[in-house]
Amino acid sequence: MKKLMFIFVIASLVLAACGSKPADTGPVEITFTMWGAPEELAVWQAVVDDFHTTNPNITVKVDVSDWDSYWTKLNTLIAGGTPPDVFAMDAPLFLDWQSRGALLNLQPYIDANSGFLDGFYPQTLTAYKTADGYYGLPRDFQTIVLFYNKDMFDAAGIAYPTGDWTYDDLLAAAKKLTLDKDNDGKIDQYGIWTDTWDMELFWSEAIWAYGGDIINNDHTKTLIGEGGARDAWAYIDSLYKEGVMPTPTASGEFGFDLFQSGMAAMTTIGHWAVPGYVQAGIKFDVAPMPKGPAGQATSVNSAGFVIAKDSKNADAAFEFIKFALGKTGQTKLAQLGFAIPVLKSVAESDAYLKQPGDLNQQVFLDSTVFAHTKPVFKGYEEWAGIVGDGLIPVFDGEAELNTTLNEVITAADEILANNK
Amino acid sequence: MSRSFYKTILDFLAYVLLVIGALTMLIPFVWMISVSLRLPAEQFSRNIIPDPFTLKNYTDLFKDLPNQAFLYLTYNSFKLSLLSVIGQVLTCAMAAFVFAIVKFKGRDFLFALLVATLMIPPQVSLIPDFIIFKYLGLIGTQWPLILPAFWGGAFGTFLLRQYFLTIPRDLVDAARMDGASLFDIFWRVYMPLSKPAVAALSIFVFKDAWNDLLHPLVYLPTDMQQTTLTVGLAFFQQQLQAGGKFTVLMAGAFLSIVPLLIIFFIAQKQFIEGIALSGVKR
Amino acid sequence: MDYGLKPLGREKLWLWLMLVPTIIGLVFGTIGSLFATLGLSLFDWDLINPPTWVGTENYVALFQNKNYIEAFVNTLKFSALYVPGVVVISLLLAVLLNRKIRGVGIFRTIYFLPTVTSAVATALVWNMIYGKETGILNFMLETLGFAPICWLCTNNAMMSVVIVNIWGAIGEGMIIFLAGLTAIPRDYYEAASLDGADNFQQFFRVTLPLVTPSIFFQTLISAINAFQAYDYIYMLTRRGQGDSSVPVAVYSIYRNAFHFFRMGDASAQAIQLALLVGVFMAIMFWWERHYVVYE
Repeated sequence: MKKLMFIFVIASLVLAACGSKPADTGPVEITFTMWGAPEELAVWQAVVDDFHTTNPNITVKVDVSDWDSYWTKLNTLIAGGTPPDVFAMDAPLFLDWQSRGALLNLQPYIDANSGFLDGFYPQTLTAYKTADGYYGLPRDFQTIVLFYNKDMFDAAGIAYPTGDWTYDDLLAAAKKLTLDKDNDGKIDQYGIWTDTWDMELFWSEAIWAYGGDIINNDHTKTLIGEGGARDAWAYIDSLYKEGVMPTPTASGEFGFDLFQSGMAAMTTIGHWAVPGYVQAGIKFDVAPMPKGPAGQATSVNSAGFVIAKDSKNADAAFEFIKFALGKTGQTKLAQLGFAIPVLKSVAESDAYLKQPGDLNQQVFLDSTVFAHTKPVFKGYEEWAGIVGDGLIPVFDGEAELNTTLNEVITAADEILANNK
Repeated sequence: MSRSFYKTILDFLAYVLLVIGALTMLIPFVWMISVSLRLPAEQFSRNIIPDPFTLKNYTDLFKDLPNQAFLYLTYNSFKLSLLSVIGQVLTCAMAAFVFAIVKFKGRDFLFALLVATLMIPPQVSLIPDFIIFKYLGLIGTQWPLILPAFWGGAFGTFLLRQYFLTIPRDLVDAARMDGASLFDIFWRVYMPLSKPAVAALSIFVFKDAWNDLLHPLVYLPTDMQQTTLTVGLAFFQQQLQAGGKFTVLMAGAFLSIVPLLIIFFIAQKQFIEGIALSGVKR
Repeated sequence: MDYGLKPLGREKLWLWLMLVPTIIGLVFGTIGSLFATLGLSLFDWDLINPPTWVGTENYVALFQNKNYIEAFVNTLKFSALYVPGVVVISLLLAVLLNRKIRGVGIFRTIYFLPTVTSAVATALVWNMIYGKETGILNFMLETLGFAPICWLCTNNAMMSVVIVNIWGAIGEGMIIFLAGLTAIPRDYYEAASLDGADNFQQFFRVTLPLVTPSIFFQTLISAINAFQAYDYIYMLTRRGQGDSSVPVAVYSIYRNAFHFFRMGDASAQAIQLALLVGVFMAIMFWWERHYVVYE
């Protein structure tokens, strides 16, 4: 009985694969799904409407949901053999999907459109390149920078962060900015808040700046416990021990992003946080990530477009991607304010540089010079979970750093081995 | 000590316990409403009564969605939940009756098999069920959310079977002697006597259908006019929670349960009466 | 159990008609759920490519998967605390509410309220209530002179989560038991009274035995809910991108199926969980045969 069912599943997948990729004559409807904030729905709908006016026989149905719902639905649709045509991919997870054959190779389309990738920031493309071509393209990208609350700095009489700051400068300033304003024994303002669960916001940058690395080139060994990396972890731990950063459990209580709720003077995060901060009325500006003993480093990451291998409307799907990555599409998205356009010409134009929010947008662009690409490897999610969860007890003050780090690395290496 | 004095003391103690317990039950709701009516700056304040008082959190909630999305979402949730109740009550009651009253070969085996389906959590049966519905061509429609309610269910059948088993058998014998058929006994004898259990089942089924996130997410298009309230709210909750916007979050939470509370208050009259009356009837 | 009418002649048709919807559901449920999951557990399936046969490998891997073992043990711990809590408290509550006290209707409504809500919605407010520095629970503790507790820190999280789950389920148990209690004919109590039995004796000799059908039902349902508990626990202990500080079995199954491309492992975990439920069910049905009193 079960064998029969699997034959059905296999048959349908085969049929779908061999099946019709009709010439795109006549009206075509494609589905585009992504995760995002409710505000993004309206803008993407505008991009889609624009696209429709220039391509009247292609209608795009946009689906935006929250992160959890997105992956649940995507996996179910794919398992059931009814994938969306175009969907959003988080760069670190790219290899997990590509290596399993879920994605369409976009190289033929790229080759057919000569010079297509010329205007892109090259760092944003590396995550999606494989030996036989690009299986995805970046939609927009993020670099992590240091945000600071101008009012809090002014009140404490500290000079704003500059591109010359070191991690020690950061700690010193944070100490002066951690205050118990109403003397009730509880800290009301923290010097800095950042997320230390996922590497992107802080710990990968710290590790790189201290001369360490995250993972080796063939993705078999976790390097976060080697050499300079250990110093980086010691630094991060000191932020908690000095009390300038709220513990992970405490942050949860205040709604995760304490910079947005006005309880932290500094944070390290990407451009996606800007609209929220502007809306919350925070007076802030940005500076590059601080320097460590081995130099300055930040993380560059992107959300990408991918086309399902079994999509029946691959041509139309690529047309849509082309539009969204073209000047008009990228300009509209830049004005959204959630991310940085991958097209250099748009990023360096007013569309991006003069968005709402009185901050130095150029800093995000300048940071690409010393940015490392966020690692992409099979088993990323599980690996990240092991490391992120494993270190929380250390930061909550319930475990010792180096022994925990060793345990975490061993477990993380197992994940890498299982995913080879 | 006299008997009635003893009883009064017990009653008093019982009362005290009940009141303390009732407060525990209520506090989270009171708090939810209170926070939802506060200004964001006051979200952690210790006062129960918000001062000042604002409705902005409720209007903020759906400002990013297309117009009237909230009405569509609520309507869809309501429609699907109501259909689920009808389907479950009818089919589970019939099956429960058969399992409780009638003797036939394979009855115990079938019942055990039915209860066994409770062993698999919905997250796991999601994908196999999805594939089956795909072959029936029903993905993207509301049918995968309606049909299963009409083919029985382990919980409902189990609940009603237990209740039916407590109804005295002499009623059945009496009805038999009057020449009643199997269906007559079901419809004219057992169902009327089971109002409390049916009302309880209705409330549970409605609640489960209303709160279901997984199935509408996967079967319905994620279009704010075609999906249900739970999916719509999930879209917002992550954002709000990450941003620490607890006042809006509570407004959303409260909105998602208000219809349930309304249904409950309507149904509970019938249902509390049912419980009280059924004690006297026997 | 040897109860039941024998259907007369043509009534056999009615019998099967009344069962047909359930039988369709059974086919769907057993094939769609039980068999499919059982079958999938013998394969490796990444949801993208056709499944590949691995036999019992997934089951062997279960014993070496530290994350799953932790989740499974958490599920057991949780259930051991939750089930007795719910059953005992809701039974006592039903007994108290069955007396002739003024305002009984209002109490019943209030106690049932938590059950009529959505776990997701109330978990959000419980998150606020449990806050170490901002939550009202600690506020009350401090006013009474006690030290604040970190309710959602790893060492207390299990207990906190159990409390919320019990809070949300007492109403359901109360209703089940109330329905069961009111089904006990008044004459039994009168007879017992006449024989000189006091309240406590009446409870143990009359009430308890006659309410065993409800105890059976409620214990079984609570246990199943406990083994499959997910909503409250996840919402309260969430951290990072979808991780939980108190992972339970269903959480592990969900992560494996929808985030780690391991449907086969997820299915094997589900089968193991199902076995746990099955064993418990078997124990309960044995108990029913020997101890449950039907009229």
